[in-house]
Amino acid sequence: MTVKRQYTLPYCNLIVEGLNANANDPLSPLTVLMNAECQLPGATDASLTGGREFLDSLVAAVNHYGQQLLSGVSRPLAAPGTPPPMVDIKPGETSQQHHLVVRQQPLGSAPVDTEALPPLDIPLTTVQFYDLMEAVDQLLADTQTLPDLTARIQSVSRRLVKPAEPVAQRAAPAALGAAALAAAGLALFFVPPPEFEPTRPGQESDTPAETSGSSATGDSPLVVDPDAEGQEPETLDLAPDDAAANRDDADDDTASDSTDTNDDAADSADADAADETAATDNGSGDEDASTEVSTASTTPSLSLNDESDDDSPGTLPTQSATGSGDGLSPLEDTIAQGDRIRQLNDLLRGNIAERLEPLDADTELTYRVRLTANGDIVGYEPLNAASARWASDTPIPDLVSTFRGSPEQADFRVVLTENGVLQVSPWDGWPQ
Amino acid sequence: MPFILDTLTTPELPSPDCPRRARIQLDLLLLAIEALDLGGSEAMLSTARDLALDGVIKGRVNLWLLRSTNPMRRYSQRRPMSINEAKALVVIISNLSRRLTVLVRQLLLGAQQLRDRQLSFDHHLRLADYLNRFRTHFRARMNPRRAGVIAYSTDERLDELALQLLEQLLLCSGVLGTQRLWSSLFDGEVV
Repeated sequence: MTVKRQYTLPYCNLIVEGLNANANDPLSPLTVLMNAECQLPGATDASLTGGREFLDSLVAAVNHYGQQLLSGVSRPLAAPGTPPPMVDIKPGETSQQHHLVVRQQPLGSAPVDTEALPPLDIPLTTVQFYDLMEAVDQLLADTQTLPDLTARIQSVSRRLVKPAEPVAQRAAPAALGAAALAAAGLALFFVPPPEFEPTRPGQESDTPAETSGSSATGDSPLVVDPDAEGQEPETLDLAPDDAAANRDDADDDTASDSTDTNDDAADSADADAADETAATDNGSGDEDASTEVSTASTTPSLSLNDESDDDSPGTLPTQSATGSGDGLSPLEDTIAQGDRIRQLNDLLRGNIAERLEPLDADTELTYRVRLTANGDIVGYEPLNAASARWASDTPIPDLVSTFRGSPEQADFRVVLTENGVLQVSPWDGWPQ
Repeated sequence: MPFILDTLTTPELPSPDCPRRARIQLDLLLLAIEALDLGGSEAMLSTARDLALDGVIKGRVNLWLLRSTNPMRRYSQRRPMSINEAKALVVIISNLSRRLTVLVRQLLLGAQQLRDRQLSFDHHLRLADYLNRFRTHFRARMNPRRAGVIAYSTDERLDELALQLLEQLLLCSGVLGTQRLWSSLFDGEVV
């Protein structure tokens, strides 16, 4: 039995014709669709007709577009290559206009390729679209007509949504950043790297001894900087010649800087570099501990060193008086006699052992101690940070005397192991 | 959970709370309803009671707190909006919009006619009334310093928004309007 269902709204008539599931029961649902017809009075005089394919396409188009109007999120277009749907709805020029695009077989003519025909474009207002949607919705909700046709309302997945900004626009900041980095890198490529001369404690300690002879800058004798002690013990191994040579370079640069300040720009770069070097040297030499934070602040030994200075005020003046600096200056006049060195070694060990008290240090402490031929200790130098920290707890600072009886001197290595064992040996090895 | 909320499927969201756009959209639709209907806020509460949703929307303060999860609000709340609360609001909105369908259609058709004749909206008394009330509500409640609100600083932009909300109210007043509105809230958000 043929059944006709009609969904009527002011701007849309949807008429569905089909067959009952059970021909004898007039109440059985319409399950076989014969024809679907959609009239849009007020929008177009044409009547859209089609079979199941047309109806399915209409339902899908209305579904998608209705949701797009509600959320403002447009659904991704179908993959290229797939044939355009029979019914499609597109937004118009303004937000109140919509376009219903239908590709359908003209009635009564021979079947032709539908894609070759120009599609039927029907402009709709929002209210007209709503009526179309509502007619479709009523059909979908109607369990007596095509029960297998149900609404498939789904949110658009996050993956399918086009980002609000095109890729080019999103990539612009990153590209700009990369370009700026490249430009900066290129520009800085031509700038010579600053010549960094780490502050050499040993080098500064040389200065007082040489000041009288070689200092062209008229610097005041460099004051001992106890904070730098032990910061860079490895530089103490610097050969005396090297240190002197460096110092001379710095002095020369400083001198040229002071005379060439009004020179042309070509020289200024060099002068600047030299100035920098000189400033580093002078600064670390002239200034007291408070300005040396840059070199010492990274280690906790700074404050401890300050305390140790307060505890044993003898260290600083003694060392400065002897010109030993924050490291010991290279020996000028070494003791040559092996017997004398052995005696001094024994003497030093005895002196320290006599006064040695148990230490809390958890590492081995190593010092370089300088003795005169008479056995007076004229200076010492801790060889690492721990040694510097614990120096005031050892008897060595107390043994330092200002008395300089003999120009001949010798260095000794004093090691206090964490177990409290005292080892004393000549710095340059036992004499033959 | 009220039975009526079961008709709406819970979307697969990365977080258990309502996304930001959904919170803004729900509050704006309720604002449009208030501008349409003088007793709108009262009607929201009575609809909640009628639909046995007062377990989810617990009275006036609760409704206000829920609506204040809209980040554009002057007194925006940082509390999240649960999925059930959003469902309840969606059901209430589509219910109220169904009652107001006739009025909404009239206004939209009137606006269309005025636009076709290139007249201002003031020529339609009821429409001008709605737009005026919407602007007042919006300006009174939204934080003018928020970027999302600054975009609506002029009367024209606000009128556009009001009409757009009117269309959306119409779209969710149909038989499947509740599902359509609910699903549209999570466009581009579901995993």
